[in-house]
Amino acid sequence: MAPFIWTRALEYHYVAEDGRSILALRGIDLAIERGEFVALIGPNGSGKSTLARHFNALLVPTAGEVWVDGLLTSDPRHVQAIRQRVGMVFQNPENQIVAGTVEEDVAFGPENMGVPPDEIRQRVDEALEIVGMTDYRHHPPHMLSGGQKQRVAIAGALATRPDCIIFDEPTSMLDSVGRQQVLQTIRRLNAEIGLTVILITQSMDEATLARRVLAMDGGRIVLDGPPEVVLESEEMDRLGLGRPFAAEVARRLRARGIPLPPGLLTVEQLASALCTSV
Amino acid sequence: MHIRVENLTHVYAPGTPAARTALRGVNLEFGPGERVGIVGPTGSGKSTLVQHIAGLLVPTAGRVLLDGVLAHARTPEARARRHQVGLAFQFPEDQMFELTVFREVAFGPRHLGLDESEIAARVRWALETVGLDPEVFGGRVPLALSGGEMRRVALAGILALRPRVLILDEPTAGLDPRGREDILERLRAWQEETGATLILVSHHLDEIARVVGRVIMMAGGEVVNDGPVRQVLCDPEGLCRANLSPPPGVVLLEALGAAQWPVRMDGWGAEEVAAEIARTWERIRKPDAEPSGS
Repeated sequence: MAPFIWTRALEYHYVAEDGRSILALRGIDLAIERGEFVALIGPNGSGKSTLARHFNALLVPTAGEVWVDGLLTSDPRHVQAIRQRVGMVFQNPENQIVAGTVEEDVAFGPENMGVPPDEIRQRVDEALEIVGMTDYRHHPPHMLSGGQKQRVAIAGALATRPDCIIFDEPTSMLDSVGRQQVLQTIRRLNAEIGLTVILITQSMDEATLARRVLAMDGGRIVLDGPPEVVLESEEMDRLGLGRPFAAEVARRLRARGIPLPPGLLTVEQLASALCTSV
Repeated sequence: MHIRVENLTHVYAPGTPAARTALRGVNLEFGPGERVGIVGPTGSGKSTLVQHIAGLLVPTAGRVLLDGVLAHARTPEARARRHQVGLAFQFPEDQMFELTVFREVAFGPRHLGLDESEIAARVRWALETVGLDPEVFGGRVPLALSGGEMRRVALAGILALRPRVLILDEPTAGLDPRGREDILERLRAWQEETGATLILVSHHLDEIARVVGRVIMMAGGEVVNDGPVRQVLCDPEGLCRANLSPPPGVVLLEALGAAQWPVRMDGWGAEEVAAEIARTWERIRKPDAEPSGS
């Protein structure tokens, strides 16, 4: 079976506001399978968001091709079908809220798609249940915390029944409690309902949640592999991305002669490896 | 500038069903030249507090004094004090509108009525301070810059006003790790050069801990902790009470402590945490060795 998302020699070129010509993506060949959890990392301006916007036809390639579930994104007849399959959740939950109550907000997407009212009700119920916001269904969204608003935004994306959601730095404006709520929700969506997840993040600790990490630099994918391999690679220093905190401590401990296995990315993994090392 | 916050209470939409108390009797003092972090979960009152310090809100009760002058008063003295307080909200670059970087940074100084040569000197100094070469960036279009560069331009626009108090809300949000580190380092250097007061509002405690000496922790509109950064960060229970997660280094030391490792809880950076673990590891691996220093 063909991959869920497939790009071939994808290039994207645009003219900036001051007239300079910018090649934002330089030949991307990538396949993402259904049900994958992919973290997309890289410095500002490396092309992460530009690449992700090609996955739901918000952008179309200036050269090469992008296929989503067998549909060519540059064919205008497919745009609606592609957007139905691939949803997006952005950085700032404030900009994604459109209605006066939580459930109206979640119903907005399916209503726009012309889904019959009975089914909308069912979808809203399910989506709120999955993100743990059922108790707030009649609340005005602006009274919620940042983490709760972002979960409502996720429920809104889910109510259109996508196969995949792209999360573009969804936690960067949240406090630590909100961050944990949102990350747990994302993890559950992937593990329990098999949603394909693409998580764009500037936090290497968040990237450890994925099962595959893509690192971009200058419009190219420069690293692609499991988090244990990518997040510990020397290349991460050159990119200025640093490492997950635990990996950084583990590296400094190895340098001090403490024998530790590779691939320690979380504080829990490092603590238990240390306890078995003595 | 000396900042004094006395019994400050702020209620939004008072007397309506939507009334919300954002600050409850807050008392604080900031000395000249302090570097202070204000942390706390969303809705804890951080943003309301800093808007009062900038004189942008009128207290429901209590007051804010800037060098002894009521911050929100409509007097020339108060206005002069307020002009010396620079406040940038999150994503300040969203408010840029000029056609060149030079004009964008010059906007504030021009508004102050300075002459052209003074304006040009301030713009150059401000751009250099944030790490942008004035020759390269001065003529560029702000909206065509990268996110990190736009943030720097917005920051330069405030620095060009030569504030004696600079308050920044989440100055590193949305920047990559290298950009975050660089901006914080430059803010620290700016503060050391000018002796101004620097107040950083952030969710990211461990990040601002490298710049500030003092941390004020807020929760539910009140100050729940105020002290040296080390004391606040190495108190996981206090952090939890304010709905904040301790830095991962503190979590790691705590996990080892729970596993009976005799670690000291007094650091959070990767290097100090690694050093403490290595010291402890040596000790517990050779149980017959004399424990040092106790």
